[in-house]
Parts: sequence; structure tokens; C-alpha cells
Amino acid sequence: MKKLNDLEYLKLNKSQRMTYNLGLFFCAIPGWFVHLFRVIEKGIKNCGIAIADEFSEIGRTFKQGNKAVKLSFFLFGVGNLFYGQTMRGLLFLLFELIFIAYMVIPSGGFHWLAKGNWFQVGATVGTEQGRFEYNEFYDTDVWVTGDDSVKVMLYGLLTILFIIAFVYTWRLQVKQCTICMDITSKGKKVKSGKDDLRSLLDDQFHKTMLALPLTGILFFTVLPIIYMVLVAFTSYDAAHDGYSNLFSWVGLEHFNELFNFGKGGLGLAFGEILSWTLMWSLFATFSNYFLGMFVAIMINKKGIQLKKFWRTVLVMTIAIPQFVSLLYVSKLFDSAGIIGKLISQIPAVAEYLNVNHYISLWDSPVVARVLVVVINIWIGIPYIMLMATGILMNIPQDLYESSRIDGANTFQQYTKITLPYMLFVTGPYLLTSFVGNLNNFNVIYLLSGGNPLNTEIGVAGGASVGHTDLLITWLFKMTLGSAESKYYMASLIGILIFVVVAVLSLIVYNVIPSTKNEEDYK
Amino acid sequence: MASVKLTNVKKIYGKDTVAVQDFNLDIADKEFIVFVGPSGCGKSTTLRMIAGLEEISEGTIEIDGVVVNDLQPRDRDIAMVFQNYALYPHLTVFENMAFSLRLKKAPQDEVYEKVTAAAEILGITEYLTRKPRALSGGQRQRVAIGRAMVRDSKVFLMDEPLSNLDAKLRNQMRAEIILLRQKIDTTFIYVTHDQTEAMTLGDRIVIMKDGFIQQVGTPTEVFDMPVNLFVAEFIGAPKMNTFKTDLVCEGGKYYITPYGAKIEVTGKKAEMLAKNSVTSGTIVLGVRPEHVTLSDSSNPAAIACKITVNEMMGSELHLHVVTENGDKLIVRIPTISLEDEQRKAMVYGATIYVTFEGKVMHFFDEETERNLLA
Amino acid sequence: MKKNNDNQIRKTSMGARASQRLGNTVVYVILAIVTVVWLFPFFGILLESFRVETRMQVSYLWPQQYGFDNYIRLFTETDFLIWFRNTGIMGVATAFFQTFFILSMSYTLSRLRFKGRKTLMNLMLILGMFPGFLTMILIYKVFADAGLTLNMAPVGLVIVYCASSGMGYYVSKGFFDTIPTTLDEAARVDGATRWDVFRKVIMPLSKPIIIYTILMGFMAPWGDFMLASYIIHENSQGMNVAVGMYEWLSKTNLNTHYTMFCAAGVVVAIPVTTVFLCLQKYYVEGVTGGAVKG
Repeated sequence: MKKLNDLEYLKLNKSQRMTYNLGLFFCAIPGWFVHLFRVIEKGIKNCGIAIADEFSEIGRTFKQGNKAVKLSFFLFGVGNLFYGQTMRGLLFLLFELIFIAYMVIPSGGFHWLAKGNWFQVGATVGTEQGRFEYNEFYDTDVWVTGDDSVKVMLYGLLTILFIIAFVYTWRLQVKQCTICMDITSKGKKVKSGKDDLRSLLDDQFHKTMLALPLTGILFFTVLPIIYMVLVAFTSYDAAHDGYSNLFSWVGLEHFNELFNFGKGGLGLAFGEILSWTLMWSLFATFSNYFLGMFVAIMINKKGIQLKKFWRTVLVMTIAIPQFVSLLYVSKLFDSAGIIGKLISQIPAVAEYLNVNHYISLWDSPVVARVLVVVINIWIGIPYIMLMATGILMNIPQDLYESSRIDGANTFQQYTKITLPYMLFVTGPYLLTSFVGNLNNFNVIYLLSGGNPLNTEIGVAGGASVGHTDLLITWLFKMTLGSAESKYYMASLIGILIFVVVAVLSLIVYNVIPSTKNEEDYK
Repeated sequence: MASVKLTNVKKIYGKDTVAVQDFNLDIADKEFIVFVGPSGCGKSTTLRMIAGLEEISEGTIEIDGVVVNDLQPRDRDIAMVFQNYALYPHLTVFENMAFSLRLKKAPQDEVYEKVTAAAEILGITEYLTRKPRALSGGQRQRVAIGRAMVRDSKVFLMDEPLSNLDAKLRNQMRAEIILLRQKIDTTFIYVTHDQTEAMTLGDRIVIMKDGFIQQVGTPTEVFDMPVNLFVAEFIGAPKMNTFKTDLVCEGGKYYITPYGAKIEVTGKKAEMLAKNSVTSGTIVLGVRPEHVTLSDSSNPAAIACKITVNEMMGSELHLHVVTENGDKLIVRIPTISLEDEQRKAMVYGATIYVTFEGKVMHFFDEETERNLLA
Repeated sequence: MKKNNDNQIRKTSMGARASQRLGNTVVYVILAIVTVVWLFPFFGILLESFRVETRMQVSYLWPQQYGFDNYIRLFTETDFLIWFRNTGIMGVATAFFQTFFILSMSYTLSRLRFKGRKTLMNLMLILGMFPGFLTMILIYKVFADAGLTLNMAPVGLVIVYCASSGMGYYVSKGFFDTIPTTLDEAARVDGATRWDVFRKVIMPLSKPIIIYTILMGFMAPWGDFMLASYIIHENSQGMNVAVGMYEWLSKTNLNTHYTMFCAAGVVVAIPVTTVFLCLQKYYVEGVTGGAVKG
């Protein structure tokens, strides 16, 4: 594709420009991937270089360091103590002692690591299967507790985390010791414990602020996610819950399921649900977006009275907990509900329901899908309306005035000024909202529960599949703790959702103008 | 109350974007120094490095003989006035000015005394209980200055303090800063892009461009003897006329030959040309607009040109003219020296004759753009 | 000639005014319809909660007999009060801890510069792409062992709501980004540490976003069904309103509990809506600010 220069481009008429831009867009796609791979390649290369540098640096430190530095290679914090940083030194030393103690005690670090049989396909996670054994005292079979695979894996992971922290700390204190050596050799004073504490409120303030939130994220998001990813490579399900039955490593076996497109096959179910999820997200996002904007423009129109009243009416929907309003609305459309009954009495609808033996509107796959989208408009418009109101007020009034002088009518003003401005400003929001809708559990689960059932697929991945099921609600059913729960499937689907969202975000971020020409509208 | 010394100071952003190059400067105690230059020349960055708001990539900064590179701003004993005032919107004027004293946990009596004293000097006593948003731009700037005053700090930094004000207010505040300086006797470092402010305020001016210091000197020095073409054009308004012409050396006398005219270089300039043993050749000649005078066609040193724009400034007339070969010049003529008829004749397209004297000219090397006399 | 011109001008301007009036009428009609549609469910819930003649779902709007039976039954025969209390406590606790986590996270990422800041933000972007509730598989197991599920479920839930809440820093970071950085600099030159800047300069200026964050934290437990149903598991003493009331609409309970559900819905809606409408202004600021900043 030949690139035109500015003047050549300006010569093109509208349709030519469009074809040109489309052409450019599609030609650019391979470029992004090449770029992505290059970034990854570069990242890996830089990582490699950094690691190599680190090692040679460590070697040099050991060679050139004085006794304190050398000693600190084995005993944490000795260097700090030597240079008078008592507090740091003691903390480091304490850390090392705790670590060693934890690793060697019975049922400590080594114990858990050894039990894990990490990634050995066919081996169980944990080595001792719990079992019933005859007990003379009770004169009956008694449950003898064995290993719990869940715990083995969890403690194994925690131990690995601890080891990483240990290595990092080791490097840190060696580095600090070398710095101390440099500083004292220049005749300056090293920082005291008092300085350290003071700097936590000043130039190291970010550490103070981030300590708690990041710890929370580490233990409640990062660790569970790593755990979840690992689960995809095991046979963890309701039958193999790790306690009564150890689960085992299965390698990539479950990934083969993805290519099973028969009835009940994961591939079929995933494809079906993914396509509806994307469709739903598209409809939900854009119907809300445009209608919400429309309502905002109406309310903000010059000469309209009671602006605050209209706004408050809409905002009420946000205030009332969704589970109340959604459950109620879902019942409204039921066969016994007011609206459901009313609609069912329309002759054409009545006949449609009759022919297909549907009792309520929710039994028809098509109608159910339409209903969730429509009811979602009811839920979503107020948010967009509020947001759009804020943005509309930010559009400089003189743009409208000058466009009126140039001869634009109201509709043209909307398409040429309001819409481009809104789209530009809310580009990132549209993406987040799209992703949010992909995972919009509440609306689907509380309205339709994923029903009606998809009889062509039936049960897949340990959960029944419905016509309005999103990936997230399907996932939810898989893990709800019933006898069919297949946690490994849930993990697999979770990983796939991640891939879908990541790819979508990558593409969108490359397309929307807001990320590229940040200053255009400022 | 303190000297400031910058040695080989360098600022590098990211990997290789250099904002300030090899900055060396000794600022004496109680001196008023102005950093001036076009936007992006590194003047504000230098000031912020002195304040401790930017890290120093290389070199050292000393205040009162102490290297302050690793000190936090609060430990440097400086006061600073920002371009957009940076008043705390949630505090009253009084509390804004008292902010630093409160942090020091100064007793209420002392706070009251110092703040009211500063407010008195700045004439903002009646606004002390107001919030910043209820003040005009000029008043806000006074509060910002007052906040810096109560600190009694070693160095007083000002980062374009007047550029957010309108022209009239700016002139007024400029005069007040001169008065203020007499009252608070300390070291000032003042950053501006406006050469008028630099000329009127500074004991010495530091002219910067692209991260490099171009010239350091008193206002008179930089005006009379700019070291290069950039400084020559930057200092003085309207800016100096510059054009290429030939310098001819005949029998120990120097002439220049602009547009067919022949003007002898006289006075000190001629002596210095001889002293620097400058030879004939093409040079860039600089003449300030106020040094161009009206002449008539009979004068051999007269240059014919056409008027393109006539700006009547009141006390003087700024004429934009083009010479025969298309060079643009600006001529600045005091109105008082003109007859009414003469003035009326100066319309678009009219031809006038101008000339200038040999002692007011500046000579620059065509390639290096350096002043040939320096 | 001139007169003619004048006339023309008047005619077009009259036309413009008339068309504007017509446009406004159309807008009023649409807004009226919108109002009816949006308020209908609330109105419906309210009416049904006072219906006495039958507890089943019916297909007419106006009750034949009004009374407080449903409310009386709600407070005397069910565990609703316990659920309500649980949710209220969770709301307050979540509001408190979540605000603390989110504010420190967003403040740091917005106004402090440190090594690894960009990496941290990218990392959190990527983490956010995983379906969050999958973490519950593990968390539920651990909590069950630690005794944080049955009666103690509210405690467990508060931990779940708050522990990772730092990841939702976007909206308040957008707010902090709009405060000029020279304020921080001025304060630091004035002798403030970064902690002083946070406490004495930025926090007093951040009232809207603090209230917004508190509001969001308070509302979260009232509407959450997904995480709550995971942790709570059929122990009435530890339920929140969503999980408790969800059961009433199951096929077996629907015909005896429907009107009571409506009554409970009204009771739940009252505190939340009141708080929300009072603090609406801050909510709007948060939503618009967050969207504009992206």
C-alpha cells in the first residue's frame, strides 16, 4: 500500500479517503504483530542482558568487596551492621533466620516443595492419599487424613514466593553493603536508622503508601491467579477435590478438549458462548452509549425545564441495588408478570410462543437475548447520561456558534461536532465498558440466569449451557461446588477469557484516536 | 544572605534528551540574577534544580558553600514563587502565607507578626481572611510572593512570576519587585522569557539557548556588547536589524557597504576592529532600530527603502521597510523629531532614505555568528 | 426594499422559534415516556409490597387490598433483619478500608514518581484482564479453613472486597491528575515532606473523590451477588441481603415469598437510595471525571 503525502491525500474525495484509510488500517495489522513480537523479543533480550550483567556484577562485588561485603554474602545484614546501620542489619538478619527456620522445620518449605511433584504428568499433587482404615478403638473404619492437594499446591506456591523474596533480599543487602563501602571510602556518612524512618515519609513515601494495597493485591489477586493457571494443568474437580481424592498433574490434556466440537464438547460450547458474549457486549455497549448520549443531549437542550428532575429520575436506577431491580424486572417479563402477560397477548407473539411450546418470553432463545439487551439499556443509560452530560458541558460553546454561522443545522452540529468530540473523549471508556460488558455477571445472571438451556450443547465443562450465558456466568456455574464442578475447566476458560480481553484491548488501543493524538481537542 | 555556585551542572531527561548543558555560574550574595531565554532553553530546569525539584544529572550546586545535590527542597532553605502562583485553594491568604511557619511549628505570635508584616509590605492586609479564588491575578501573585517572603530564606527563586498577568499589571508588579528587592535584602534568582524584565530587574543577566549559556553580564554589557547574533537579536525591542554586507578595509579605515551605500566605521568600534585585526569580507551587520536615522538621497551613506508597515506608537514611530534586495529593516523614529508633513508622507509604498552612524554598528562572523569585536 | 428585508428576517426568526418550540415539545414527550419507563419498576415494587390479598406474582398492577402484612412478616418471620444488619456493617467496613486502599494507591501512582511506576501500572492492567472471581476458587478454600465462611462470612467478604481494591485506582487517579503539580512543589519548597503534602495539601482538596470512593465502597455489598453467594453458602446467619433474598424468588419459594421480596426490596432501597441521592453530586463528578480521563 502506497503512502500518500498530505496534499495528495487532501485531493481524494470522501469514498476514496475511506478506502484509503481502510486499506492503511488493514495493512497496518501485520505491522502491529511484528511490532509486538519485536517488543517481546527485545524485552527478552534485555532481560537476558540484565541477568548476565547482574551475575558479573555480583562476581565483581565479591572480588572487590571488603570483608564486610564478603561476609554479607552469607550472613544477611552483616554489612549494614558493620557500617552502623543497626536497624536495617538486624531486620535483614532476622529475615534470613526466619527463612532458614521455615525451610527446614518439619512441614516447612522443603516439605511442601517435595510433596508437590511439580509438573510431573500423571503424578498426584501431594503424596499421601487420605483413606478409611480400620480402627480398633472405634471398631469401625475411620478416615485417616492424608495430604490435601489444594494445600500442597498453595503452600508450595507460597514457599516459592518466599524463596524469590529471599533471593531478592540477599541481593539487596549485598548491594546496600557495597554502597555503604563506597560512601565511607569517600569520607561521607551512611544513612542511619532514623534517616530511614524519616525518608519513609518523604522520598520513600511511595513505599509506605503502596505497602498495604500491594500486599493485598499480591495475596488476593496475583497468588490466586497463578494458582488458577496451575489448576488448568491438573485434574482438580468435584470428584478430585484434593482432600478425599488427590488430584494430579495432567499436562496439556484439557487443552485438547477445546477442539472437541461434538455435543457437550468444550470447543463447541466455548465457540457458541464466546460469539454470543461478543455480540452481547457489542449491543450492550453501543445501544447504551448512543441512547444514553441521546437522552443527555435532550436533557441538556436549551429551553428544557426541570433538568435536575429528569436527571434524578434516571439516577434512581443506579442508586437502587441491582439485584432488587433486576430480579423484579425479570419477573415482570415472566409469564405471570404484568409486562410479560401483556406482550404474550399480542396475537403474533402468542402464536410464536404457542408453536414452540414456550410458556414465558424467557423460554425463547431469541426473545430472551433481545430482552436482556433491552433491559440492560434500562440499567445502562443513566451512567452514560451522567458522563455525557459532563462532557457535553466541556465542549466549547463557540464551536457551535461558529458552526451555525457556517450554516450547519442541528443534526449536522451533532454529527460534525458533538459526536466526534464525544467519541474522542470517551474512546478509552468505550473499551473499558466493552470489557466490562463481556464480564457483566449481574445483568445476565439475575435476569435470565443464562437460560433458556441450549439443548444442542447440553452440559459442557461441568455446567449446563444456556442461550444467554456469557463466559463469566458459565464459569460461575462451573465452580459453584456442585457434584459436576470442574475447576480445571473453569481455569482453562478463565485463561481463554484473559486472552480474548488482552487481544481485544491490544487492537482497540491501536485503533482509537484518543491514545494517539492526545492533544487534538485540548 | 547566601551565595550560589553551579559547577558543570547538567540535566538529562530519559536517555539522551539534554535540557541543560555544562552550566557554570557563581552567584554572589545578595545579587539579583535573571535567567532569560526562549521557551525550552533550560532556564526553568536550572532554577528547579537549584530548588531541588529536579534531580541534578551531573555537576554540583552549592548554596553557601554546601553541596545541596542530595538535599530535599525543604532542607535547602530557599523560597520560590511559581508562575501559576500555586496557592493552596483550601487555605485563606493568611494560612497560605503561614504554611511554612506552621510546618516549622512556629508559635502563633511569630506567625502573626511575620505574616502581617509581609502583608503590609505587599499591601494585601485587607485580603488576609479571603480564599485565593476570591482574589484577582495580581493579588494572587502578591500572596505568592508574600508566602515566599515570610520564610526569610537564603535564596529567593522566582519562576516567570509575571507571565500570567496582563501587560499593565505586569509593568506595575515589575516596579514593585524592584522596590521589594530593596526591602528584602537577599539573593534573587529570577527566570523569565521577557527581555524587558531581564534588563530592568537583573544585576546580571544569564542568556540561555538550547541548554547552553550564551552570555552572562550586566544589562549594559549584554546590550552594548552581545557576544553573538542570538544575544544581539534577543535583547532589545524591537529586535536588532541584521543583514549580510561587506566589510572593507582600506588604508587602515574600515567601511561597510550596505545596499550600495558606503559608511565608515568610526570611534571605538573601528579601534576594536583594528585591534582584532579583522580583514575584509562578508559579515553580518547589526544595527538597532533606534540607531537608524532618516536621511536624504544626496547622502552617500543613505539607503533607499520602501515602507511596508507604519506603526504609530505615540512617542515614536516604528517603520517596517524593505530594501532594494528585499531585506527587511525596522526603523524607530521619535515622533518629536518629525514634521507633520514628513509624517503624513510616510505611507505604504513610499520611499524613504535611512542611514546609521559608524559607531553604533555590531559586527558578527557570517558562519560562527560570533561578535567580531569580542 | 428595506421594509421587505425586515419582514423576511422576522418571518425566518418566527419560523425558527416555532420549530424550536415544536422540538422542545417532542423532547418533553420523549422525556415523559422515559420517566414513566424508568420509574415503573420502582412504582411496581412499592405497590406490590403493600399487596395483601395474595403473596403470589399477579399480572395486575393495583393491589386489591392494601396493608403492611408483608413488612410485618418480613421483620418477624424471616432472617431479613440479620441480613440487613450484615450488609450494613459490611457496607461501612468496606467503605472505610476500600477508601484507604484506593486512595493510597491512586495518590501514589498519580503524584509520586518512582522507579517501576509504569511497570506497576501495566502489571495491574494485565491482572485486571483475568476474570476476577476465579480467584474465589482458592480464596473460598482458604477462608473455609480459616473459618471465614459460615457465620463469619461478612468478615470474609469484607476482606475479599477490600484486599485487592487497590486495583480500582483509575477514577481517583484521574482526579488527582487534575490537581496542578506546582502545589506539591510549592509545599515542598515551603518545607513540607511528601507526607505533609498528602495530608495538608492534597487531601483537603480531594473531598469530592473521597466521598465518591466512600460511596462506592458503601454501595458494593448491597448489590453484590456473585462473590457473596460464593462465600456464604446457605448459612442464613451470615448472608447479605442479595443472597438471602435471591432464594425467595426460586421456583419453590416464589409463590409464598414474592410480595415479601418486594417489601424487602423497598426496605433495602431506602437507605441506599437516600445516601446516594444526598451524595449524587460527588458521584456525578466521579463518573464524568473518570470517563474523561480514561
